[in-house]
Amino acid sequence: MQTPIPGAPPLTPSPGSPQIPSDAVEIALAASGDAHAFERLYRAHVARVHSLVRRMLGDEDAEEVTQDVFVRVWQKLGTFRGESAFGTWLHRLAVNVVLARRADLGTRRRRFHDDDAPLELVSARPGSPEAVMDFEQALARLPEGARQVFVLHDVEGYRHEEIAQMLGLATGTSKSQLHRARMALRHHMDR
Amino acid sequence: MTTGHWTSRLSEYLDNELSPPERAAADAHLRTCAACRATLDELRAVTARAHALSDHAPARDLWPAIAAAIGSEMSPLAPRRQRTPRRWSFSLPQLAAAAVLLVTASGAAVWSLAGRGATAVATAPRPSARTSPTTPPLRATSFTAQRPTAEQSYDAAVADLQRVVEAGRGRLDEKTLQIVRKNLATIDTAVAQARRAVEQDPANAYLNTYLARTMRRKIDLLRQVAALTAIES
Repeated sequence: MQTPIPGAPPLTPSPGSPQIPSDAVEIALAASGDAHAFERLYRAHVARVHSLVRRMLGDEDAEEVTQDVFVRVWQKLGTFRGESAFGTWLHRLAVNVVLARRADLGTRRRRFHDDDAPLELVSARPGSPEAVMDFEQALARLPEGARQVFVLHDVEGYRHEEIAQMLGLATGTSKSQLHRARMALRHHMDR
Repeated sequence: MTTGHWTSRLSEYLDNELSPPERAAADAHLRTCAACRATLDELRAVTARAHALSDHAPARDLWPAIAAAIGSEMSPLAPRRQRTPRRWSFSLPQLAAAAVLLVTASGAAVWSLAGRGATAVATAPRPSARTSPTTPPLRATSFTAQRPTAEQSYDAAVADLQRVVEAGRGRLDEKTLQIVRKNLATIDTAVAQARRAVEQDPANAYLNTYLARTMRRKIDLLRQVAALTAIES
């Protein structure tokens, strides 16, 4: 009987997948309370988490929410059992923190309804001054609903069914928001 | 169907989410509609751009605030300007310099532990910035074949390094020693668990590599502490 190390992926890998999780030792140490091991995990993953948070919520709240994500990871690390890659687990936890923050910000009511005007701001014609806007800047100016669906689907790779569940939408709404975002962004491909 | 109708469904077309009849109809429309083909190309470029976005770390180091929130100390890995002197002794510059000085007798044992001559290599990049320049790559399957020898070498390397650490422990502050002891205890637990798992499934390359990695972790930590004692002297 194999005894798992608390917080570490199981010692027995899935069939056909002998890859050692590169974070395994750090996870085990961090889960046992080693803050220095946790710092190494932080440094390995902070760029991806921060980028996700920034794209979902904007620059203003990104650093604070990124901090919250890692504090939450520290608190929850003991529940990580290795069913998924650590990065995937961390990423999903980050999304949950973002969504909770979004609710705190009180944006839930208006996110998919009152946002037509901002969408127009990024729907520039090719060759217009707006078109030279950096893609990330254009993304940041999308209305919140379209931006979050776009980030989750096209950047992060979630499926519409998952996004609909996470955001509390109908799947069809997720699809239509994604299309709106893509249509708005297509003129900002200059960089 | 009109161009407007199909324009609104091009993302679904792109994502392969249309039913077969709908897709066939869309294909028929696209053959005759240059505007929709152009829009589809633009949407395809947007999705490609999204996949290629780079991740960027925050402009400032968030670790000090996180460490404070979780009740930890300042970081040994944080930029030097943000560190409080001597709150924690494992600084990277020290360790990097010490690694050059400290090619101890354990070096040969570590090489043996890693299994020279093996053919199957299972390496994974380590997030730790503390990896010694003398550290050899990990090798998986060889550890099984050479396990008795490798474990003896590991034990010898650990003993060598522990003697060095013991001799220099007076040069380390008590807080550092406490953290080292705690980390060593954690690693020892992991090694013991991994050894038990390997005993039950000796041919499992995953387990052997996991065991080797865990053992190496202890040697790396001891090596770093030994290097630190040499520097502090």
